[in-house]
Amino acid sequence: MKRINWTAYAQSLAAPLLAVGVGLLVGAIAIWAVGGSVGTTYAEMWKGAFGSFYFTASTLTRATPIILTALGVSLAFRAGFFNLGAEGQMVFGALAAALAALYVPGPGPVKMLAAVAAGMLAGGLWSLLAGWLDTRFRMNLLITTLLLNYIAVYTAGYLVAFPLKEKGGTGGAQTAMLDNSAWLPKLFAGTTLHAGFIVAIAAAVLLALFLTFTTKGYEIRMLGSNPLFAAYGGVKRGQLMLVSMLLSGALAGLAGTFEVLGTQYRYIDNMLTSPGYAWSGIMATLLAGSNPIGSVLAAILLAALQTGGMGVERNTEVPLEISSVIQSSLILFVSARITFSFIKRRKARAANGNAA
Amino acid sequence: MLLQMEGITKRYGSLIANDRVDFSLQEGEVHALVGENGAGKSTLMRILYGEEQPSEGRIIVGGRERVFATPSDAIAAGIGMVHQHFMLFPSFTVAENIVIGREPKAGVKFDRKAAAEHVKTLSEKFGMPVDPWAKVADCPVGVQQRIEILKVLNQGAKIIILDEPTGALTPLEVEWLLKAIKRLAKQGISFILISHKLNEVLGSADRITVLRDGKVIGSVKASDTDAAALSRMMVGRELAKFERKPVVPGEAILTVDNVTVLGDRGTKPLLDRVSLTVRAGEIVGIAGVSGNGQSELLQVVSGLRRVHSGKVTLGGKDVTGLSAGEFRRAGLAHIPEDRYLWGSAKEESVADNAIMGHLASLSKGGILRKRLIREKVARWIDAFRVKTGSLETKAKHLSGGNMQKLIVAREMAHGTPFVIAAEPTRGVDIGAMETIHEALLKRRDEGGAILLVSSELSEILKLSDRILVLYEGRVAGELSAGDATEEKISFLMAGGSGNETH
Repeated sequence: MKRINWTAYAQSLAAPLLAVGVGLLVGAIAIWAVGGSVGTTYAEMWKGAFGSFYFTASTLTRATPIILTALGVSLAFRAGFFNLGAEGQMVFGALAAALAALYVPGPGPVKMLAAVAAGMLAGGLWSLLAGWLDTRFRMNLLITTLLLNYIAVYTAGYLVAFPLKEKGGTGGAQTAMLDNSAWLPKLFAGTTLHAGFIVAIAAAVLLALFLTFTTKGYEIRMLGSNPLFAAYGGVKRGQLMLVSMLLSGALAGLAGTFEVLGTQYRYIDNMLTSPGYAWSGIMATLLAGSNPIGSVLAAILLAALQTGGMGVERNTEVPLEISSVIQSSLILFVSARITFSFIKRRKARAANGNAA
Repeated sequence: MLLQMEGITKRYGSLIANDRVDFSLQEGEVHALVGENGAGKSTLMRILYGEEQPSEGRIIVGGRERVFATPSDAIAAGIGMVHQHFMLFPSFTVAENIVIGREPKAGVKFDRKAAAEHVKTLSEKFGMPVDPWAKVADCPVGVQQRIEILKVLNQGAKIIILDEPTGALTPLEVEWLLKAIKRLAKQGISFILISHKLNEVLGSADRITVLRDGKVIGSVKASDTDAAALSRMMVGRELAKFERKPVVPGEAILTVDNVTVLGDRGTKPLLDRVSLTVRAGEIVGIAGVSGNGQSELLQVVSGLRRVHSGKVTLGGKDVTGLSAGEFRRAGLAHIPEDRYLWGSAKEESVADNAIMGHLASLSKGGILRKRLIREKVARWIDAFRVKTGSLETKAKHLSGGNMQKLIVAREMAHGTPFVIAAEPTRGVDIGAMETIHEALLKRRDEGGAILLVSSELSEILKLSDRILVLYEGRVAGELSAGDATEEKISFLMAGGSGNETH
């Protein structure tokens, strides 16, 4: 019994590891092509990501929003809904959190809680909107979530460029800075790592437990695995979709909230879009096959590639884009795996009920 | 001897799928291969068709030893296979499907006219009429199978493997096919016929080989044996004597009153003013050629499809328009007609597949009670002898027959007053069929109301107290168990009206 489980685990790990291996190989070719030394470059990348306590902490800081969005996306994926709207949900979450922390009166902890609630709510509702458009009007979720990103990003950009712009500020499009009583505490002095990381890890464990041990988690998994089977068994798709989209968006909103409360201490236009947290989160989910714990590891890996890439740029002639090359080839191979399993599923359906 | 397989052994790790199997085929012979699920029939045929390599043993075709690394090698040696599920391109024409891979060319262009001519000649030569220009999607299942056989003949096959060829056919199509096989055999084509249906095997094969647990139990001439002897060889024991106790039906559990379901584009109704009643303590069988409204009826009485007019009541409650969950709460258990489409989630574990619909009794405060689940599911698996590695094994690793047993176990465990049994024994072996039939009859004897839908007339006749025949979405006729014969049902299924039966 145990043995079967272990091989299953090994198999589920094999594909992403292979993808990572091939990604590094393609990266090596790219490094060689731009005339860098593969060994030195990868050594610098490792140092940039995990070379010192400070760098490790930076990597985990960067991983925090990626983990949270990855969890949100995983939840939706497990229910069978392709939520590509993490970016917009994250942006609205961050903006709502900044506003709550700025304008809710009271002591620091109250502001902080208000910000977390507002951030999760804003992200959740934005995601719910896409879910509602699907259940009510049968609008394709893939398209609505994707397009709602633009609405969210540009609306937030406009708001912080004009009506909500910091009064008398000399900076760009950004809100005023939060009162430092509402800042998330740092985990280690002198590093960037904040308490949001702990919450993200806890959220991953909770999500894994939720999916495995609760009836709702069971229904979500079955709905994602075979919607007709779920319908046949009496699972209500509409209700479950709204719930999972709400939670999915709330997690993305929380990712944005923590960037505001833990890193930037205000909402700055492009603070979430230019590092591409949301898309890294989706990548992490794909890489981990929507497994919550796996998503954490994948998110840290992707964050390490990014912080490591910065290290490479600082210390060698090889450009930062190398880490994008590696990430892109990772995704290429992961999506090849998805396509492959899709084809296998189609084939298996054709061979259904093969008796004897 | 045209084909000899000698001492074929196939191991998968510690599992022995074929154990020193000998199998032979003469020119123009029809040789049937029978056995329960997992007896090793498919493995043996996959080896012959080059899809698997034997661990030991030799294959000799036409006096020469051959090694088939791929199906192309087998095809080149004159071996063809018609799979249970057809491998055709529905949107292409019949001719295009038949000549695929060896298209006649005019320069570099595909010469469709020549292809059609060629197919016409071929179909006349072998007495298998098809319209070369028709689209495959528009052809009935029986014709699609003809296309598959012609495709294989066009590849030059002298030996044709037919895997469960009659599974999806109507009785008339089955009759036609078995005749065609005999005719082709006279023309020198040899057949290997894999089937669960002993009557068909006995009626069409020259020789029958029985496999059990990977070993050849015996190879007999069809004229020297009968169905009872064959099933004894297959199962390895005497089958229980089947009897149906008389039960006086009680009150109506399910009523369907004047229900109409329109097509998606408002075309011809899929169900046309259908009314029926299933009472406590009776099995009502629904017969019909597939596509005459059975699927829609099943979906209507399980809450998976809306009706446009009419009324459905279950256990005295009006359930018209309610969801599947509410049907289940009103007392429905449902063995679905397609075990993979509706009945399971292949990527999930056996345990997860087993508890669908049972959550209320297997959870507390929204938390699944894992230990209770393990105990219960283990008991169901035991009762129906489901072969699985563990409860955590993914459902896709179960064989079709075992998946079916798991679904039946899950649904019977609900203990509901009303049970839908749609194709309850499709693709399962004789032993499992016996178990499933017993479970259904036991529920009936205890006062359960059962709606049985099956494309197997023998199953309908064996189990039903009353039989309704669906034709083009309407109830074409009703027969009582004592009154019904295969002929009468077939006549109604083909669109004959109830009054003209005599």
